[in-house]
Order: sequence, then structure tokens, then C-alpha cells
Amino acid sequence: MIMFLYEDAFAVALVVSAFLALHLENVAYAVISFGVMFTALSALYFSLGGPFAAVFQLVVAVGTIAVFFLAGEMLAPKRGTRQKSGSKILGVIIAFGLAVPSVLLDFEASTSMKTHDLSFSSALWEFRALDVIGQGVVVLALALGVVMVLKERKNQARRKEY
Amino acid sequence: MNYIVLSLTLLAVGLYGLVTKHNLLKTLISIEMIAAAASMNFVVFASIAGDSLGQAFLMLALSVDTAMTAIVVALVLVAYRELKVLDVWDLSKLKET
Repeated sequence: MIMFLYEDAFAVALVVSAFLALHLENVAYAVISFGVMFTALSALYFSLGGPFAAVFQLVVAVGTIAVFFLAGEMLAPKRGTRQKSGSKILGVIIAFGLAVPSVLLDFEASTSMKTHDLSFSSALWEFRALDVIGQGVVVLALALGVVMVLKERKNQARRKEY
Repeated sequence: MNYIVLSLTLLAVGLYGLVTKHNLLKTLISIEMIAAAASMNFVVFASIAGDSLGQAFLMLALSVDTAMTAIVVALVLVAYRELKVLDVWDLSKLKET
């Protein structure tokens, strides 16, 4: 029963923080709300019996939030318009309204699939080994892409100086 | 509680942000939400089926998603420094000039 209540609380936190991340005009608050969303998502993964997924989600979220926070601080105007309190309260009410269906609707999610006793490591390295290697190549290519994009910009700035 | 409805709600919030918000960072946050909603289904269905393959898929999906975020943030930074533009509509108007 207690677990059930925890799951409901995390689901409400997930939806409310997701909506507020888009609704809040201040980028810093929006990014903090986005971080809360990822934390709630990670907690839900843990309650679903996926500890590896939960930890991985949390680790990835920390990096993503750091990048968003830095980018948001760099790009946000110094003195933006202040959002009215009424707008914020309305956003919170709408967000709670959006969270209601996922908490109240409870239909049976039974399945006829046979339960596999497959461990996480064997799922990753025996069933998806090729995918993991391909993934490494893709991530490396993307990292090189980021470096090239930023380097190109640096080269252009140097050319302008000369 | 129903996780599939929760995933659909998260998807709807992400789509709402993608359609209504003009800020590039907010658009990227919306895309992240849509990706999170899709990834959530891996863990939910893995939990129903009782195996760990869904978690492995989630790790693969999250890695690609994070790499994509990194490159899009780099492009956003370049777009802002070169053009001083943070609005998606202003960026699309640049095609006409």
C-alpha cells in the first residue's frame, strides 16, 4: 500500500514538473523543474523493478541538466519579463489536472507473455552486443560532430580577426 | 496507477511544448520529454514481461538521446552567437532572406 502511494506521488511529480518546465518563463526555474522530472522518472523506474535503468537515467539526467543549465544561463536575457503569479498558479493547477488520469485510471495490464529469467548483463552483452558496439561508434561520431561544429565557429572568428 | 497513461500524458506535454513554444531551449526540452515518454515504455513493458531486455534497450536509447542533445545544444549555441536568434520562427524566417 505504501509503495502504491509512493508511485502515485512520483507520477504526479513527473507530470507537474514536466508541465512547469515548459510553462515557466525563467529558464533557470524551467531547468530545475526539468531536473525534478528526471528524478521522478528515475524513481518510477526503480519502483518498476529496473534499478539499472533508474541509475542510468539519473546519471544521464545530471549531465543533461548541467548542459541545459549552462546553455540557459548563457542564452537567457539578463532582464527578462517577470511571469505573473497568477500564470504560475494556473500552470500548477493545469499540471495537477493532467496528472489525474494516470493516477486514477487503473486497468489491468496483465500479459500472456512467458516470464524470462534473463539477467541484465546477459540481455546487454549476449542479446544486444552488436547494438552496444554500434552505439559506441554513433556516440563517438556525434562527439566528433560537436567538436567540429564548435571548431568551425572558432575558425570563423579567427578569420574575422585577421 | 497506469504507466501507459502516464507515458501518454508525458508525450502529450512534450508535443504541447513542441507546438506552442518558440524558444529553442524549450523546444529541446520538449523533444527530451517525448524521448523520455518513449523510453519509459521500454521499462514498463520489460516489467510486465519480467525480463531485463527493456532496460538494455533503455540504455541504448538514452545514450543516443544524450548524444543528440549535445549536438543540438552546440548548434543552438552557434546559431545564437552567429545570428543572435533564439526563436524557432526567427530562424525559419532566415530562409527567406
